[in-house]
Parts: sequence; structure tokens; C-alpha cells
Amino acid sequence: MKVKLFGMLKTMVPGGKDLEVVLSEGGRVRDLVHSIQIEHPQVGELLDKKKVLVSVNQEIAHWETMLVESDEIALLPPFAGGAR
Amino acid sequence: MAVEIDEGMLVRVQQENFSIDQELERVRARSTRIGGIAMFLGTARDHSKGHDVSSMTFEHYEGMAQKKLKEIRERALQDFDIIEALVLHRYGPIEIGENIVLIIIGAEHRADAFKACQWCIDELKKITPIWKMEYTPQGDVWVEEHP
Repeated sequence: MKVKLFGMLKTMVPGGKDLEVVLSEGGRVRDLVHSIQIEHPQVGELLDKKKVLVSVNQEIAHWETMLVESDEIALLPPFAGGAR
Repeated sequence: MAVEIDEGMLVRVQQENFSIDQELERVRARSTRIGGIAMFLGTARDHSKGHDVSSMTFEHYEGMAQKKLKEIRERALQDFDIIEALVLHRYGPIEIGENIVLIIIGAEHRADAFKACQWCIDELKKITPIWKMEYTPQGDVWVEEHP
């Protein structure tokens, strides 16, 4: 399945393109994160520290969220924020 | 008296600049009950975290960014005693001094307008998938600070 990347994450993967991750049926977000940790350890570390969130169908997902092939998945680095 | 308006115009993520007068009028025209309007305008600074900034680019997650801004407007209308809320954010390249983000709140009274306006911009910074790259003499930097 395709995983969209934004912001600084694009600078951390070769070519800065979206990721293609193969998950077995019944896979969850934690399995996706595990695959990314193996292929792209730099991105994986940020996911592990919860500095990067995973969204599924444009909602923030939890590690137990189940995934299906048609889901729209994205990795969201910290938002632009801005000091108050 | 409430006036019919296009709600889609009250929540926008767009590349082009916006006219503050036009947006203000959009909120003002919503109801003659409005007696106070509070506004927050975020603009592009030439300095950030001790370094000069020559320009910046905003990237957004198409669809999710709009969805989050819509949620913010709806929650503001529900949780505060206000009449209308407008939330706009730009994306793409933005030069120093240009407009970036606009919140306009129309209420019967100023206290509610101020409170809702502050809440909207704080919430926007927290939950909206928008990222900023700053161009500095030291290189290009993705900004990841939080309120």
C-alpha cells in the first residue's frame, strides 16, 4: 500500500517519494510501522518516538488500527505550529 | 437577521492571497446581530529562531487540512457564543510580509469573539496538517515548533 509523506520526511527517503509498503491481510498500523522501521530506520525512529503520526483516511490512527488495501495512509511530521 | 451564505467560502486552504476586507465583509454580512468582530492575521516573518528568513513555502495535506479547518469552525460555533467563524490558510510559496493565515470571528459581544479567535488559531496550529519550510542563509529548514 502507498504511504504519503510530507514535510521533512520527504528528505529522509531516497527520491523523496511516497513509500510503498507490503502488508499481509489483517495488518495493523503497528505492522506498517514495523515495515517502515526496517526499510527506513530514520523515519522509523521518529515514528517510534511518536514525533511522526500515522493517519488513516485523513484521521490520526493508533497502532492497533486495522488497515485495508484501499485505506489512504500518510505519515505526518510535526505540524508547522508557531510560537504563541 | 441571518443571511444565507456559502459555507465553503468560510473554510479555505488556498494558494492565492486573500483580501482581508472581503473576508471581513463575508463574516459581517452573516448577521445583523453581530456587534463585535475579532481577527487574527498571521504574516510571514523575516526572522525565526535566531536566523534570517528570506521566504517560505507551506505544504498541506490536501483534503485533511480542509477537513481539520472545517472541524475547527464547527467546534468554535458550537463551543463559543459566536455567530460566525472564518478560517483560511494559504499554501505554496509565500514572501516575507505576506498573509498566511486568517481567522475572523463575529459575535454579539467582544469577549466571546476574542476567546473564540484565540482558540481557533491555537487549535489550527495543533491539529492542521500544514508544514512550513523556511529558506535561510544556513539552508532550507522544515519548521517543527509548537505553541
